Amino acid sequence: MDLEDDTTVLTTLKSFNSFISRPEHPQRLSDHSAGSGNLQNQYKRSMELLEAAEKVHSINRYLQLDQEKKQMELSHKRARYELEKAASDSARDFEHEVDRNQELLGKIKKLEERETEAAKNLSDQMEENHALRKNMEGLSKKMEEQDSRLNTANQTIISLKDEIRELKQKIQNQDLTISAQALENQELQEQRDLQRRKYQDVSQLCQSLQAAQSSCSEHVIKIKELERRLAFQEQDISIMKTVKSEVARVPDLEKELKRLRDDNDFLRESRENCSLLKEEVEGLRKKLERMEKTKEELVNMELEKEKLQAWENLGQSTGLNIRKPEDLSREVIQIQQREIALKEQNYILNSRVRSVERSESELRTELSQQRNKTLEEQKKRETQDALVRRLQKRVLLLTKERDGMRAILESYDSELAPSEYSPQLSKRLREAEDILQKTQNHNAEMEAQLTKAQEETGTLKLQLQTSTNAHFSWLILIQPTESVCVCVCSFFREKIEDLEAERQRLEEQNNILEMRLERHNLQGDYDPVKTQVLHFKMNPTAVAKQQQIRGDQLSDVIKIKLLCFLQTSGCVADLRKQMESSELRNQRLKEVFQRKIQEFRTVCYVLTGYQIDVTTENQYRLTSVYAEHMNDSLLFKKGSSGSMQLMETEFSKTLGEMVALHLHHQKSIPAFLSAVTLDLFSRQTTV
Amino acid sequence: MTSTLKGITLKGSAELVAEFFSFGINSILYQRGIYPPETFTRVTHYDMSLQLTTDPKLKSYLTNVVSQLKEWLFECTVQKLVLVITCLETNEVLERWQFDIECDKSAKESSAPREKSIKTIQDEIRSVIRQITATVTFLPLLETPCAFDLLVYTDKDLVIPEKWEESGPQIINQSEEVRLRSFTTSIHKVNSMVAYKRTDSA
Repeated sequence: MDLEDDTTVLTTLKSFNSFISRPEHPQRLSDHSAGSGNLQNQYKRSMELLEAAEKVHSINRYLQLDQEKKQMELSHKRARYELEKAASDSARDFEHEVDRNQELLGKIKKLEERETEAAKNLSDQMEENHALRKNMEGLSKKMEEQDSRLNTANQTIISLKDEIRELKQKIQNQDLTISAQALENQELQEQRDLQRRKYQDVSQLCQSLQAAQSSCSEHVIKIKELERRLAFQEQDISIMKTVKSEVARVPDLEKELKRLRDDNDFLRESRENCSLLKEEVEGLRKKLERMEKTKEELVNMELEKEKLQAWENLGQSTGLNIRKPEDLSREVIQIQQREIALKEQNYILNSRVRSVERSESELRTELSQQRNKTLEEQKKRETQDALVRRLQKRVLLLTKERDGMRAILESYDSELAPSEYSPQLSKRLREAEDILQKTQNHNAEMEAQLTKAQEETGTLKLQLQTSTNAHFSWLILIQPTESVCVCVCSFFREKIEDLEAERQRLEEQNNILEMRLERHNLQGDYDPVKTQVLHFKMNPTAVAKQQQIRGDQLSDVIKIKLLCFLQTSGCVADLRKQMESSELRNQRLKEVFQRKIQEFRTVCYVLTGYQIDVTTENQYRLTSVYAEHMNDSLLFKKGSSGSMQLMETEFSKTLGEMVALHLHHQKSIPAFLSAVTLDLFSRQTTV
Repeated sequence: MTSTLKGITLKGSAELVAEFFSFGINSILYQRGIYPPETFTRVTHYDMSLQLTTDPKLKSYLTNVVSQLKEWLFECTVQKLVLVITCLETNEVLERWQFDIECDKSAKESSAPREKSIKTIQDEIRSVIRQITATVTFLPLLETPCAFDLLVYTDKDLVIPEKWEESGPQIINQSEEVRLRSFTTSIHKVNSMVAYKRTDSA
């Protein structure tokens, strides 16, 4: 509204200004044209016009303003409505914004977390960066080193190139020499052909020579045989010579022979004589031996004779009718029989003595029993005597009582009238008399018992006496042992008492032990000889103990395992699958590897001509394709620095030259190997 | 119920005694709190209410032991059955429930049934179990967790079956013993008693 007011004021001001500026010209015109009288009227008229115009103008203005105001109000309303709408929208927006804000806050938090993580990562990265930088530095250093090396290597390469050039030149030279050698070789081959031809000739010659040699040898054998025959003949000649000399000696020999024959005859005769004499000597010797034997027999006979004389003397001295040893033996037998009889008697007597002793001991026990019985009986009698005395006393007391009662009754009778109390008294009297009767009966019974007991004691006494008599009779029989017996008896009694005491002690002990046994039995003890204790293996105690132990030992492990399990339980199946697949892959790889290795080995064998086997670690055996024997092989050992060394084998011993040339001088194993191959190959093909 | 009229045979006696052991062990385990009371269920037997375990492991163990025991009772080779209660912390034997079994081995030869009705035997058994229940009043409280074991004293010549092994007698050091009632089937006589560790206060 203020704005509107302002606008109206402004418009009026404007209009006023315009008015002021417009009428300046007419005023001046009027001033000039009309005079000063009209001027005032004109001014007034104009002023009125002006006012009317102003009024119209203001009315118009007012209307306009009113319309404007209405429009303004409308627009204001519209604006308000729109504003409200906008407010609600903005409120909604605001809410959205708040929600979004919260979300954003959450995001910010997350981002902050991420940021911290990122910061951590960053720090890690920084560390890594540092490490990498260090590595980089190291690498750059290495790079520099390598660069330097490269430079050196380049230099070496240049030098090597130079060398190569030189070597190429050398090779060219060698090629030249080789061609020259090839030429030489051709020449040599030609020479060889020539030599071969020569060799064939020579071999033919050799064959003829061999034939000649064989004929030669036959000749030589013949010569030898002839020589041998010659030697035989020479020997024969010498024998002939000796025979001739012997023939010359024959007449002398015949003479000698005659002489010798004579001698021989003489000697024969003398020998016969000699044998005769020997026979005679033999006969005499035998006679002598016989004589000696008869002499010895004579001496023996004399000795026997003396013995027999002693026997005869013995027979005479003893007075027995002993003429012969048989008699003596008979006597001895008789004596032995007598001895046996005596021994039997002795035994019988001994047994009797023993039986008597036994019966004596029995009697003694009986005696002691009887004595005990008598003692018991005496005791009984004493007790019974005492009883009798007591009973007699009681009887006396009772009679006294009875007398007293009677006296009392009499006094009552005398004092009181007989008519009133007599029945009662008589009743009492009767009762008292009954009691008396009873007591008397009892008394009589007791006396009868007493007499019975006395009789019993009497009979027992009689028994005792008889037994003692019997015993005495036995004692008389064994009088000398009686005193000893008494001693023994007392000794035995003491012993019995001791034993009794011991028995009691033992009984007590037994009781105590039984008590203990019972107690032990109650506590669960048992006899391991008769009983065994069994229990079920998986009893609850054992199970509980096992659980306890397992729990103690494994609780931590289980916890860890559980955690691991929880973490990995999801992955177990995957892992298993992975494992299976990896195992399968492994298997396949193995197969492929084996196949490839086999292939590689065969290829190596075919290409290099060597089969390479690994015998032990770091030892390789090389067998050539062209080897003459299965066992011809070369052994190489791998040294610690990686260099290969040839080991000595049977085969390598035969290759001394090659070893010296290729290994010691040239230091090349491949060259050595190829040389060996060539050698073996040439050997195989030439033959 | 024909057996009540005829009397009792060796087989019947063995079954009765084994049944007694089954119920007796159960009620000892319940009374002494070796197993929690909620694992027991109430059963009526011998005209009285008894507690039977529902723990499957314990059940299978007891059926195993009792069936073997029944065999031995039938062979008259068993001398004692002992229920040992052991403290798990110290491995100390705290209680020993001992049932001495006297077997009439002549019943093995003669199969003639004895003249004793099952009713009277069950009455005797009932009084024994009542007494077992009553012993809780004087037995010391088992304060530590305990486990039990069943020992069977048998004749020495018996072949040890599979799953069984020899054991020690598990005697209590310094014990008090209390004799309980006994019952007899006229073939097997069972004397029961309990030994428990003497406490310092007593």
